[in-house]
Amino acid sequence: MIESPKQTIPPENIPDQDVICDIQNVCTEFDDNIVHHNLNLTVKRGDILALVGRSGCGKTTLLRHIIGLTKPQSGKVLLFGENLHAMERVAQRRLMNRFGVLFQQGALFSALSVFENVAFPLRELKQFDESVIYQLVMHKLTLVELEPRYADLLPAEISGGMVKRVGLARALALEPELLVLDEPTAGLDPDRSHNFIDLVKQLKKSLGLTVLFVTHDMDTLASLAERVAVLEDKHIIADCSLQELARIDHPFVINFFQSIRSRLERL
Amino acid sequence: MVAAGFRVSKDDQGRRHIQLFGQWSLRAPSNDFAKLKKSLEPFFLDTSITWNLNEVEQLDAAGASVLLSGWGNRLNANISFTPEQATLFNTLIGLTRPPSKKIQQDWLAPLIGLGKGVLHLAHHFTEFIHLLILLLIEIAYLIRRPQDFPWREFSANVYKSGVNALPVTALLGFMIGVVMGYLMSKQLHTFGADIYIVNILGLSIIRELGPVLMAVLVAGRSGSAMTAQIGVMRVTDEIDALTTMGISRILRVVLPKVLGLTFVAPLLVLWTSSWTLIGGAFASNLELGISFRFFFDYLPLVVQPVNFTLSLIKGLMFGFVVALVACHFGLRIKPNTESLSNSTTSSVVTAISGVILVNAWFAILTRGIGV
Ligand SMILES: Nc1ncnc2c1ncn2[C@@H]1O[C@H](COP(=O)(O)OP(=O)(O)O)[C@@H](O)[C@H]1O
Ligand SMILES: [Mg+2]
Repeated sequence: MIESPKQTIPPENIPDQDVICDIQNVCTEFDDNIVHHNLNLTVKRGDILALVGRSGCGKTTLLRHIIGLTKPQSGKVLLFGENLHAMERVAQRRLMNRFGVLFQQGALFSALSVFENVAFPLRELKQFDESVIYQLVMHKLTLVELEPRYADLLPAEISGGMVKRVGLARALALEPELLVLDEPTAGLDPDRSHNFIDLVKQLKKSLGLTVLFVTHDMDTLASLAERVAVLEDKHIIADCSLQELARIDHPFVINFFQSIRSRLERL
Repeated sequence: MVAAGFRVSKDDQGRRHIQLFGQWSLRAPSNDFAKLKKSLEPFFLDTSITWNLNEVEQLDAAGASVLLSGWGNRLNANISFTPEQATLFNTLIGLTRPPSKKIQQDWLAPLIGLGKGVLHLAHHFTEFIHLLILLLIEIAYLIRRPQDFPWREFSANVYKSGVNALPVTALLGFMIGVVMGYLMSKQLHTFGADIYIVNILGLSIIRELGPVLMAVLVAGRSGSAMTAQIGVMRVTDEIDALTTMGISRILRVVLPKVLGLTFVAPLLVLWTSSWTLIGGAFASNLELGISFRFFFDYLPLVVQPVNFTLSLIKGLMFGFVVALVACHFGLRIKPNTESLSNSTTSSVVTAISGVILVNAWFAILTRGIGV
């Protein structure tokens, strides 16, 4: 008895499916400090998009809008085509499992060990037994090059760089489609940050990841970013490949490109 | 995206084949690996069955690990997969959990636990004494260099734990005074001893209730706040930052809290006792028709003034105990949220117990005075 094989569905090519995140006319202000004004940005599937800008220009705030932690005063933020704030709970949760976030300070649960931190989202799914969870956690920890002997330590007992890597492991635990990283390589030594970049690149290739990250580190930017969005004067003044930045005539971009050019030439 | 699935087929020789297809990955939102595993259970047990994974579109660690755990963490010749999947499987097999060590039943465990508990207590006690000594050293230092006194922190603490506590202590004091006055009026009235309400309320409130009530409220309000504040300062390394600036954490963090509360507590006792007495007078006025004027004129005649002094001394001691206990627990907090909440709880409980202990001790010491 042979059941008829199921038809394989061709990959969906509807253009909307390829937009992971769509930000339209977002305005944000804290009291009378206007951070974003009519900001537009689109993240497409498969992008490795870097968000750059001066310190304090509102990059973290923008990321927080994207992942649904905050709501802009006006404008729309669509993630996977949907508004996170206008969904019912189960669907919202499911949507939130489709992206992973690495916060600027790691944001590990301080009362849980490294192992339990990575296991946390997996346990929440309630689909796996302990042996599987163990394998998955260890797999993620190996991915981020964290030795198993650190697994039982508390976040306060490991170094800042390791906190970052555990945070990444936790963000990757549910195999997200979108990875949001806030200054991922800040606090890593050059070797580690190089490995980190390779890791993200490789993950992107093998898992079809979309990556949105904020960085101040020119090396990370030059070697990882495929596209770069420059946040300046409360909106995105440039959204293009690194090479194309050369053509943009804006004092910040010119300055910025100066410092990145030499690195691009080295690659 | 096709959700993970499988189909079973039988060939001519009656052997069963199982063909997996779809996305064996957490990516596909409709996947439920618990259900998949359950429905695959009978096939995992069958050793003759052959598995074919070549049609699987995407296999991630989660899918692979679930399959592996079904296969007993081994691959065998009956399983066919792509080289890419093979690497994943082999990586995961290398990560198998080491068998957990059997915990031997230890009959001495309760005894050991008790011993540990005692040691823990002793440790607390020595650390507390240590803190006390450090505080005294800082005070000695301040006597030599009064210009280093942290006035800003001191006055901030006086304001936070004193001034801000005024409404709540007044309200609670008043209400407790009303309740006590009411109950006692009832009892005394049956004996026709109406006038003694002033003696009873006056002595019990001024000597006992006022100071203890104040201490309990302050332990809950300011003690917990102090512990939590020092705890968060530890979590965020602020204490270390202070130390590296050459600023003594005892001088800047502990001392103003302890001195501030010790300074303001007698005043709070005064305030709380007054409101409790007012509450009592109010109730006796309603119940027994004793006028306010009479109540407060008669009070100094029946309650010796030394009781008032004792109550202020109690206030000093209680304020000191609450603040010192709060700082002690705050400084012991480890940088995680669990420890923070535990220490805050312990701080309040210990402070209140400490206050009651000190109160009992003081009552014994002063048993002949003022009654
Ligand atoms: N919760 C908040 N309340 C008030 N102001 C805020 C808040 N969060 C951020 N800001 C302000 O918004 C601006 C952008 O901050 P942020 O997004 O953190 O910058 P960065 O680009 O360095 O990540 C800053 O001027 C900051 O002061
Ligand atoms: Mg930031």
